[in-house]
Amino acid sequence: MSYKEKQTIVSILSGLMLLVIYSFYALSKVQSGVAAPDDMKFWATAILTFIVIGIVAMIIIQIIFHILLSISIAVKGEVQKEIHKKILKHETQNDPCNEQSIEKTIALEMVEDEMDKLIELKAMRVGFVIAGTGFVLSLISLVLDYSPAVMLNIAFFSFGIGSMIEGIIKLFYYKRGIQNG
Amino acid sequence: MAKKLEIKNNIRTLRFFAGEMTQQQLAEKAGASRQTIMAIEAGKYSPSLDLAFRIAVAFGVKIDDVFEYEVIE
Repeated sequence: MSYKEKQTIVSILSGLMLLVIYSFYALSKVQSGVAAPDDMKFWATAILTFIVIGIVAMIIIQIIFHILLSISIAVKGEVQKEIHKKILKHETQNDPCNEQSIEKTIALEMVEDEMDKLIELKAMRVGFVIAGTGFVLSLISLVLDYSPAVMLNIAFFSFGIGSMIEGIIKLFYYKRGIQNG
Repeated sequence: MAKKLEIKNNIRTLRFFAGEMTQQQLAEKAGASRQTIMAIEAGKYSPSLDLAFRIAVAFGVKIDDVFEYEVIE
């Protein structure tokens, strides 16, 4: 599995985690009577807070992912070196465990080329369609006399789900392949 | 209506004749990622003209030697 696929899986899981935590938070507030369906200020504050938490969490998770990837590359390099020493009875010319080798391997894994951009574009299009559909549904909910809180939540969830499906589409294209045109 | 074309490639053979060049080495020479080279080699991705030429240049051959097409009836 490539670096991009792993990174996409991490993004999907962190997005899912954020939506689940938000759902529990919103439900507990509604059940305890703290949040009224018409209290727009409460819902706007909650959603904004979760957006900020989501961005910060995503940055932290990506940093941790990067560190773990560096460690795994270093461990793989160390194992490779040991195999060369014990079985093949000679030292490898370049040490795969030094900082430069690790950085080089990560940089090579992170190269974004035309295929990545094409996959990104196609996946983003699906994500936008889902987010857009959700927004229209949220407007319809207002027309059907549901509370504004329902409208806000539908919009928030459709953006979150759209982003997760975007990730799933990316994984699908990485596995199946993609054709130009 | 235009007939469909199936693009095939000889990258695996060319890598073998280039001293068993690795996909990573080819990716570095062509300025693409290993994932993309793997996908092209497996026929899962048709590269842009630009990348196709860069792959040919990396092997030092003409583009026809790397890619060929077959008309699907």
